[in-house]
Amino acid sequence: MQPPTSDVLRGTLDLLILKTLTLEPMHGWGIGQRIQQLSRGVLDANQGSLYPAFQRLEQKGWIESEWRTTENNRRARYYRLTGAGRRAVGTEAASWRRYVEAVEFILQTT
Amino acid sequence: MSAIKGLAARVRALLFRRATEQALDDEIRFHLEQETEKNIRLGMTPDEARRHALVQFGGLAQAREAHHDVYAARPVEEALADTRYTLRTMRRAPALTAAAILTLALGVGANAAIFSAVNAVVLRPLPYPNPDRLYMLWEENPEKGWYKNVVAPANMLDWREQVAAFADVMGYTDSFGTSTLTKAGEPVIVKPTYTTGNFFSVLGVRAALGRTFTDAETWRTGQSVTVLSHRLWRDRFGGDRRVIGRSIELDGRPVQVVGVMPEGFAYPTEQADLWQPWAWDPANRQQVFFRRAHWLDVVARVKPGVTEEVANAQLQAVVVRLQRDYPATNKLMGAGMTPLHEFLVGDTRLPLLVLLGAVGLLLLIACANVGNLLLVKAAGREREAALRLALGAGRGRLVRQALTESLVLSLAGGACGVALGWWGTRALQAMQPTGMLRVSRFDFDWTVLGYVLAITTVSGLVFGIAPALWSSRRLPLDALKEGGRGGSDSRRVRRWGERLVIGEVALALVLSIGAGLLVRSLLRLQQVNPGFDPNGVLAARLSLPGGRYDSDGKANAFFTRLEERLRTIPGVEGVAGVSAPPLTRTGYTSDFTVAGWPAGTYGSEVAHRRITPDYFKVMKTPVLRGRTFTVDDRLGSPNVVIINEAFARKHFPGQDPVGQRVTFDRIPDSTSTWNTIVGVVGSEHQTKLSLAPQMEVYEPTSQSATNVLSFVIRTTGDPAVLGPSVRMAVAELDRGLAVESMRTMHEVRTASLARERFLTMLLLVFAGVGLALAIVGVYGVMAQMARRRVREMGIRLALGAQANDVRWLVVRNGLRLVVAGLAIGIATALLATRAMAAMLFGVAAKDPLTFVLVPLILVVTAVVATWLPATVASRADPATALRSE
Repeated sequence: MQPPTSDVLRGTLDLLILKTLTLEPMHGWGIGQRIQQLSRGVLDANQGSLYPAFQRLEQKGWIESEWRTTENNRRARYYRLTGAGRRAVGTEAASWRRYVEAVEFILQTT
Repeated sequence: MSAIKGLAARVRALLFRRATEQALDDEIRFHLEQETEKNIRLGMTPDEARRHALVQFGGLAQAREAHHDVYAARPVEEALADTRYTLRTMRRAPALTAAAILTLALGVGANAAIFSAVNAVVLRPLPYPNPDRLYMLWEENPEKGWYKNVVAPANMLDWREQVAAFADVMGYTDSFGTSTLTKAGEPVIVKPTYTTGNFFSVLGVRAALGRTFTDAETWRTGQSVTVLSHRLWRDRFGGDRRVIGRSIELDGRPVQVVGVMPEGFAYPTEQADLWQPWAWDPANRQQVFFRRAHWLDVVARVKPGVTEEVANAQLQAVVVRLQRDYPATNKLMGAGMTPLHEFLVGDTRLPLLVLLGAVGLLLLIACANVGNLLLVKAAGREREAALRLALGAGRGRLVRQALTESLVLSLAGGACGVALGWWGTRALQAMQPTGMLRVSRFDFDWTVLGYVLAITTVSGLVFGIAPALWSSRRLPLDALKEGGRGGSDSRRVRRWGERLVIGEVALALVLSIGAGLLVRSLLRLQQVNPGFDPNGVLAARLSLPGGRYDSDGKANAFFTRLEERLRTIPGVEGVAGVSAPPLTRTGYTSDFTVAGWPAGTYGSEVAHRRITPDYFKVMKTPVLRGRTFTVDDRLGSPNVVIINEAFARKHFPGQDPVGQRVTFDRIPDSTSTWNTIVGVVGSEHQTKLSLAPQMEVYEPTSQSATNVLSFVIRTTGDPAVLGPSVRMAVAELDRGLAVESMRTMHEVRTASLARERFLTMLLLVFAGVGLALAIVGVYGVMAQMARRRVREMGIRLALGAQANDVRWLVVRNGLRLVVAGLAIGIATALLATRAMAAMLFGVAAKDPLTFVLVPLILVVTAVVATWLPATVASRADPATALRSE
């Protein structure tokens, strides 16, 4: 199935979704595609896990959603960042960088 | 802001679960379609593309489930499932459930009933506008031993005019006895309250019909008016609205009805039938008696925004000025103010709080009992809990389930408790001695229900927390290993059970010692010699309407004729009149001085009563010295008095008071009347058995007439049967006269202890229930222990132990717990009973007898309670006990 490297951690997935949404409002499938594209296919999120993540973020008040029609005239739920969400991207990204640095540091020293 | 949005999303999901799920499905469908299209674009066949999309998505069910978990619905659903589960287990063990619910209902019901009384009397504010601005004003005088005393009218009027902080000040009294209402059906006795004209306006109440009084009606207006209570208006005047303006007759004088108060208005007491303005003579204001005689209850309403400190400081300034201006009457006269509500609650606060404490203990005992039941049950389900833990259930989840169980149980108990409490409240209202509490109706209002809900929930948590924590803390492996067949012999469950027993015994002991002290106190009171022989004496009270009996001569002549007429009733041994029978109330008190004392010395607070010559013979009050009154002591002959022993002891120690002369003026002058003491009699208790007899002088009615006289009638038989003959005799002499009250002196004596008896009885009932619950608890834990150790006992017996040894083993075990509980209980009781010291008579709060006897009773009952399980254990058949494994 998926290679272990693409098994995205839950917190990471939230960050990726938020980051993706900074570009423009997007529907669920589109977000999944965008993550895959931007990571050049390395991060292939389990698409089913996207939707609980959306609910989680919505409950945190970081994103909101509305039903809109796509360019192909289909109804889809579009997610967009709220003000709080925009602020959260910064702090979440920072904490992610710290985390990566810490892991990297450990990998280098041992 | 974002938190609110998130919460809204949660609530939406919970409320519109179906819609939420529908939306999710739509979203997923869109996703799959997009993915399928993409796959087709990449060159797959439609079927393949769709399959690939589904695989890529990773399971629809999981996505939905995960989505569901994120929403708040989970905890609620779990709680519902837990509740259903609890109800199922409750149905499966109906006896246990019923026992638990009944126990809780007893505890909650007792609390609800007592709290409803506390709520009505102590907590609920007075039913007047801005009640917190109403204050009782009172006088104090160190010389007379007065504190919170009634007020002299002139002082009240000065306070009203000179204290700027007071919006207004009014004065009233309802202690002038009763009036006879005629010309409204049969003559009837009514209770009037005499008031200043602003009485109603200070309280802030309006009449339901007509008007209340005007300020001018404090003073004489030439027109006597009255305002009726709603009850009197309904009962006596048939609720007729045309009563306004009608003239009625009170004590033979015409009085015009000007108003009817709304239903429920009951000030100063619920017994108030009607109100009349003073109609003082304006000349009184300058009279010395207006400042010397104290009889007014005074209520002030302070201006908005004025604090008690400020108002009191202003009052004190006026008090000091009055002390300076009127040294003859006010030299040592102080004054103070107390919030009206606090003043009215007065000495009912302590008994109510003691009762509230008692039912609180009762509820704790009930909780301990139910907690023990749940613990036993939890122990029985230990393997189930262990299994669930092993299978991955969260500990929090198990705790929640156990708590749900206890909460459901406590709510069921609470609901039954409310029913029981409602009934208890009714019983309390019906049984409380008249006038004991300021309010005689205590409704089940929202405060009471809120309180019940609170104690119910708290007790559910209290008794549920132990089993809950216990069942979740277990290591699954231990529990599964340990349990053979139904074996749950964990040391922990036993220790919890033991702790509960110790606690219960301690609580029950505190409760029982409290009740024991009250019982001892009541017994002491009943042994108090009232100073007279109450057996075989009937007391009938009459007051002569001033209209027709407008001179001392007329009143005395009537009373003399009546006394003679009463003597002719068959079976009557003796008849006498007294202005107030003992154990009812004091008459007025005065200062006095004795001829021969150094100038300026005087005594204070001697009570006065008027009697006819045979009084001491009828009451069998011992005459210690000198003589009693005779028919020769009459108007014109030298004034004579008889004093009681308390007076003689205090002011004539080592001398013979007989022959000495007293006057009831502080500083005698040429107008003073001197009275010769002709006898000394034993002291009667004037008001209460718990109060020492006051100093008292008796005056003959022939020299000091009165319109109100009680006849005491001694008979050879049952005094109660004399009633009709007495009424007939009165009617024979005066048709328009009603006997105000008729009671045997035995009843009077009993009634004087009604309050103490009522409290003792209540506390005794609570202690009895508490004790029973505690003993049931002891029994339950011991039975459980005996059952668990049946195998051990079997082995002991098989190895040659005697049945007796085994039995003692169990009993000893139980006693160990009981004794521990008693030790804690005694220590607690020593502290707790201090609070009720003021309620005790002749018994110390640390009364050794009570502190020995009550624990002894508890030990004996506990031994009995452990005996049964012990006997069961001692009969364990070694063979079956061993095989049962």
